[in-house]
Amino acid sequence: MSKSLLEVRDLDVVFGAGRHRQHAVEGLSYTLGKGETLAIVGESGSGKSVSSLALLGLLPRAARIERGTAHFDGEDLLALPEEPLRRLRGDRLTMIFQEPMTSLNPVLTIGRQLTEGLVEHRGMSEAAAEARAGEMIELVGLGDPARRLAQYPHELSGGMRQRVMIAMAMASEPDILIADEPTTALDVTVQAQILDLMRDLKARFKTSIILITHDMGVVAEMADRVVVMHRGRKVEEGSVGEIFARPRQAYTRDLLAAVPRLGAYAGTAAPRTVVDSPAEVDRRAPVLRARGLRKRFGGRSWFGRGDAGVLALDDVALELHPGETLALVGESGSGKSTAGRAVLRLLDVDAGEIEVDGIAIRELGRAGLRRARRQMQMIFQDPFASLNPRLTVGALVAEPMLIHGIARGRELADRIEGLFHRVGLESDHIRRYPHEFSGGQRQRVAIARALGVGPKVIVADEPTSALDVSVQAQVLELLLELQQSLGLAYLFISHDMAVVEEMSHRVAVMQQGRIVETGPRPVVLNDPRHVYTRALLAAVPIADPTRRRGVLPRLDTAAMPRGPLTEIAPGHLVAAGAEAA
Amino acid sequence: MLRYIAQRLAAAAVTIWVATVAVTLLIHAVPGDPVRIMYAKFQSTPEQLEAVRTSLGLDQPIHVQYAMYLGRLVEGDLGRTIVGDQPVLDVLLARFPATLTLAVASLAIAILVGMPLGFLAAYKRGTWVDIGAMLVAIVGVSMPHFWLGLLLLFFFALQLGWLPVAGSGIANLVLPALTLGLANAAVLARLTRSAMIDIFDQDFVRTAQAKGLPKTVVLYRHALRAGLVPIVSMLGLQFAYLMGGAIVVENVFAWNGVGRLAIEAVFARDYPLIQGFILFFASIVVIVSVIIDVLYAFLDPRIRYG
Repeated sequence: MSKSLLEVRDLDVVFGAGRHRQHAVEGLSYTLGKGETLAIVGESGSGKSVSSLALLGLLPRAARIERGTAHFDGEDLLALPEEPLRRLRGDRLTMIFQEPMTSLNPVLTIGRQLTEGLVEHRGMSEAAAEARAGEMIELVGLGDPARRLAQYPHELSGGMRQRVMIAMAMASEPDILIADEPTTALDVTVQAQILDLMRDLKARFKTSIILITHDMGVVAEMADRVVVMHRGRKVEEGSVGEIFARPRQAYTRDLLAAVPRLGAYAGTAAPRTVVDSPAEVDRRAPVLRARGLRKRFGGRSWFGRGDAGVLALDDVALELHPGETLALVGESGSGKSTAGRAVLRLLDVDAGEIEVDGIAIRELGRAGLRRARRQMQMIFQDPFASLNPRLTVGALVAEPMLIHGIARGRELADRIEGLFHRVGLESDHIRRYPHEFSGGQRQRVAIARALGVGPKVIVADEPTSALDVSVQAQVLELLLELQQSLGLAYLFISHDMAVVEEMSHRVAVMQQGRIVETGPRPVVLNDPRHVYTRALLAAVPIADPTRRRGVLPRLDTAAMPRGPLTEIAPGHLVAAGAEAA
Repeated sequence: MLRYIAQRLAAAAVTIWVATVAVTLLIHAVPGDPVRIMYAKFQSTPEQLEAVRTSLGLDQPIHVQYAMYLGRLVEGDLGRTIVGDQPVLDVLLARFPATLTLAVASLAIAILVGMPLGFLAAYKRGTWVDIGAMLVAIVGVSMPHFWLGLLLLFFFALQLGWLPVAGSGIANLVLPALTLGLANAAVLARLTRSAMIDIFDQDFVRTAQAKGLPKTVVLYRHALRAGLVPIVSMLGLQFAYLMGGAIVVENVFAWNGVGRLAIEAVFARDYPLIQGFILFFASIVVIVSVIIDVLYAFLDPRIRYG
């Protein structure tokens, strides 16, 4: 389709030396055409980021390039001395990173950070650079350039900061933009906007993009061609159509099969059955019921103004039956994690009632609460941070059982072993420490730990969002299997609509501390009535290059109907006024 | 920003208030009769001692004593010294410029030596430059002030004869300022190193590199500017440490500042002067940390507009 702009040949990147020597990238070759978007996809540790950092001379200290060439405009980037490479970097080859929250300098103004590259590379005067920066601010949709340029990064949200990063990277109209997981840290509606923006600027400036991502939905939406990487090597390369329609390698097929796709379970009322004989559960009485939950963070000022701070929960009500999964969905700051913690009394709400298995847990004292906690356990998002690194995983799993006096000695050891097998770990894993496990295995340890006390309710807060897709699929499978064989009830907190569709019976959509729509999962996902639910669903990238994602409805959060909820069909509640919208 | 400064000032006021309480209680922490101890050297009759006790208010209940003390304090009256019968505040203020000179000179040495050393060690981390710099810093941190002071005296004043042993001129300032400055430079170097290592690993430094800025711009505009925030915040504590060291160093070099005065007052059991000194010293440290907190806010926009 086009002449090649960048040609990478036989790239080897190595970490460490001697017996710790390890290939991060091995024999990688690819070409990038003019105006083309090449997606490099792979799971963590595949070498997809490292290979791109190597091009710009930005490798971490421990890594070095052992072999390879990267021809760009008649020169080999990998052989260039530091100074000429620096002149290309940030001018003709630019980069944006995953973490917009930390990628901008907190003590310099946006204006300074936008202009310094132009002054350096283009020899522009401060005034000219500032004018250009202002244009870019407009172009990335931030508006009000004079004010923006004077602001500091902490005054902007994550999505706005990523727009600033894009403005910075595109201001010099580069030949190549390397985007390393540019939307991974963003909410799905913001992700959709940022992807639209990148596409728009690419067309305007005729820039080629190397898009590094693990998200097949983003690939399908953005890429012309795809390079699939696994453990430092290129597994497969092809046009986006070929890769999705006719993957040649088993690894690519597995990767695509593991991607949860929104709509895959549209026709079913309940998650698929994964055990032969599901446990019989009595679903008549709810095992968890919460009403009128209210929680305000901050705002305890010296003068006792009641309206300061953030209302994280505003009149939230939930009901969860045995054997059922209620998915709590929403974007960052919607209050969904707060709600999950509140029902376990991991934080105290300002008002409301919470009943677990018929016991009002807000009334309980210390001892009573400890007893009640046997009924409810939590699994957290980050399996790296939520396990104490100084205890063996066996001790971590034993701890709750010891605290609740469930088992001791030989019996405890037997139970631990049983739990390890239950969650798909081996007996000889018991004596190891958390750092010896992968993310997925750690999440299994966390699940074993939660199961030990025989809970009825498990609050799972984004349990798979830190995991690679293939691992995520296995952990989700395990959660379904445990639910069906033990009759567990899950409060499943997630931002990923496709995962929610796969896992849940019912859905509650949260926005700014309020539930704006709730009902049976097929109804809410297939026939959303609230404008916010529709926006969330429309923003989900579709892992199929032949289909286009829906157009994002304009979101005016201030004018959105926020309740109270009214029942429009049996079990389907929507914030009043939403029907008209 | 105003709110931030108001909070700092309120905290400072509380700290000074705690110091006034401690100072009042101090006199009662001495075993035995404080008045007899104070006047042990003088041939005093019981009547004279009783008169002193009354004049110091020691015959009153403790809360009354405290109220009287606070009342006088508000008027700027810290009492009168026992040796020489002069107003305590005047005595302290007369000696303060010498201490201030020493403190400023030492802090300047600490900053000029410690920060570049720490910065260099962080930049060259893991190399022999780093290891060498940190070895020197550990020696500096571990060595007591008086010992370093004596060593410097021995070499530069006695062996080489370059500098005077004691006194209060400019040439006399060099050795005490070096002693105090180098010890603090060692602390500051370690602090700067760890702060900068943190910063060098930050994403925004990588962004600056990715922009193709020259190395000096990446290091100074991006890394150092951000690194100064934690470093400056620690300077407040550093200053308190430095003032503590000043007491020792002034005595080693016979530098006529408030630190030396304090030791004289302790040996003379001059309680009003000791009390006055503690309160004065505490106030200086508190005021300096307020100034540094404000400076900190200027360096960090997240606080400035918090």
